[in-house]
Amino acid sequence: MAGIYKKIALGLAFSPRVDALLAECSRLKQNWDAELVLIHVGEHGTSQEEKLEELLSKVNLARKDVRVFWERGKPDQRILEVCRKEEVDLLVVGALKRENLVKHYLGTIARKILRKAQCSVLMLVKPAAYAENFRNIVVNAEDSPYVKEELKIACALGLQYPGAWLHIVREVKLYSLSMTAADQYTEQEYEAYRQGLVRAEVEKVNQLLDDIPHEDLKINVKLLSGKSGFELSKFAVRKHADLLIVGASPRKFSFFDRVFPHDLEYIFGDLPCNLLMVSKRKEAGNG
Amino acid sequence: MDKLGHDDIVLLLVQLSVILAVCRILAETARLIRQPAVLGEILAGVLLGPTILGSLSPEIFAWLFPFNGAPAIVLDGFINLAVVLLLFIAGLEVDLHIVWQQGRQAIVVSAFSLIVPFSFGFIVSFLFPGFFGVVESDALVFSLFIGTVMGMTALPVIVRILMDLNIFRSSTGMLIVASAMIVDLLCWFIFTLVLSMMDNQQKSNITQTIWLTVGFSVLMLTLGKWLINRVLPWINKKMAWPGGVLSLSLSLGLLAAAFTEYIGIHAIFGAFIIGVALGDSEHLSERAKEIVHQFINNIFAPIFFVSIGLFVNFISSFDLALVLVVFAVAFVSKSIGATVGARLGGSNVIQSLAVGMGMNTHGTLEIILGTLALRIGLISDEVFVAILCTVIATIIISAPLIKYCVELDKKRSRLKDLFTKIMPDK
Repeated sequence: MAGIYKKIALGLAFSPRVDALLAECSRLKQNWDAELVLIHVGEHGTSQEEKLEELLSKVNLARKDVRVFWERGKPDQRILEVCRKEEVDLLVVGALKRENLVKHYLGTIARKILRKAQCSVLMLVKPAAYAENFRNIVVNAEDSPYVKEELKIACALGLQYPGAWLHIVREVKLYSLSMTAADQYTEQEYEAYRQGLVRAEVEKVNQLLDDIPHEDLKINVKLLSGKSGFELSKFAVRKHADLLIVGASPRKFSFFDRVFPHDLEYIFGDLPCNLLMVSKRKEAGNG
Repeated sequence: MDKLGHDDIVLLLVQLSVILAVCRILAETARLIRQPAVLGEILAGVLLGPTILGSLSPEIFAWLFPFNGAPAIVLDGFINLAVVLLLFIAGLEVDLHIVWQQGRQAIVVSAFSLIVPFSFGFIVSFLFPGFFGVVESDALVFSLFIGTVMGMTALPVIVRILMDLNIFRSSTGMLIVASAMIVDLLCWFIFTLVLSMMDNQQKSNITQTIWLTVGFSVLMLTLGKWLINRVLPWINKKMAWPGGVLSLSLSLGLLAAAFTEYIGIHAIFGAFIIGVALGDSEHLSERAKEIVHQFINNIFAPIFFVSIGLFVNFISSFDLALVLVVFAVAFVSKSIGATVGARLGGSNVIQSLAVGMGMNTHGTLEIILGTLALRIGLISDEVFVAILCTVIATIIISAPLIKYCVELDKKRSRLKDLFTKIMPDK
């Protein structure tokens, strides 16, 4: 199938899960016919080269199939810098489902990357050595500059697995406040208003899906009310999703956002499943 | 333990029944003419108070709402509870997530729509205290109060208007709502200080109140919220729903109100801040919030609104010049402030004007503020009536003004689309 992303990068650490992460990247590379870039921040010597050769051969990749960057410095900064220079479309990183309290406030490498990345990021909490296609995808269809892109990617990924579920989530903002303001309606008007809210959101989803191929997918449109991000994460857990797709935040998150979490920070704090954060790649040199 | 007598119980029940029934009838009348219920409820207070019932039938009025004795004390207890609960739901309405999402633009709009009317209100009343019937020694506190009233925005009224105009979920709608939330939050801080300045002539000092207010808010919004986030999931899981969450939330609200009253800041502030902390918790479901809202709005709000009419004669205290000045200052300053704020925040001219008109709505909280000021003798009946008239006038005129701006914006968009089609390269 046509490539969703043309250039993929993997933040490579020789950790116990590196085999599985590389297997996932190899599968994505083959599915999308994409270029694969490996970025390692740390020691570089013969032993690392040998280790890499061994890992590549395990996932049926040759050294010539990948480009490798050996970097030194702060891992998150170096990885993001290479991604920017190399015009990477998708950065793949492994992450723990949950950070401990101290690490949450200080930020681990994976979370720092999520918060600062200028390209799409696929954060794998459950990478599998024998990788399978995503078959239960939850996508956030909130109004954002990336919503169309998110749905395109979600549909394309879903279509790779016959019978895959695609849960499209929209949020009814300030539900309680608006229903309270509707307390002057009669019972009939109140119900009509509530149904109108639901209808309007479903129509918006249909409009968004209009020119995106999705016919063979099992689609479930879900409306949530409550705190954005938190409810989305809860829903992904409830549905046993294997991938959650969200749009990147329009602004960079800071320490303050971790103390008073909102939106994506809820998801970053406790990843409900694998996470794909969709963003438009900033051109190299544009900062 | 002292108990109410047989006649007292009968009277209390009749009072509550009459209040709820008359408020409902007038709220329904307001609904028929497509106006918010609050308008009908305010008029119910005027109808049942000395203005109309007291004039037409002083005997019935004196029997129904006696100023002395056990029934008067019990009703006063209900009124105080109603005010605290209204502030509690006002806090619940503040959704800090929406404020975060709207970001800088909401901050700019709220800053201008608070600072400009606050300054206007403050300057006018500080320069001409005699016009408002205030002695010069009270001018500073009074001016701060007027500034605060001018700065406030009625969130529930705006939401209703935006919903009727079908722009509640638009970017303009969300901007107005988020800005109104910030303004309300700041105004209650200021008003708490004003209240304590009134009080401090007798006991506490202002610095201490500032520290207590800020300290309590910070504590509740950090540690308090953290605790709420740990306890609420347990309540939701283990206790009956919605009974568990409703009774314990209200209990917490009342406890916070009692605490702030005890430490010398007004009870309403505790209820408001705990409302914000609870409302900001991701574990308090929207459905639970809705139930709390419905319960308080339909049972306790009428009691409060009737109470405001019981102590003031709106006809004898009506001063046209005062009403016109208060309204003009409120309308002009709020429109200018919010419009300029929205423009600086990045909205186009017409959208900015829509935001200006939207923010220019006053409602329940201003009346609560006025009532408290009236009770402690900060303002006269005449000033209170002028504030009430301003509230009524802004509620009535806001909807058509926003509608006009929205229509104008739609026309502008259509023209722009047409122009783009005709001259695609331009």
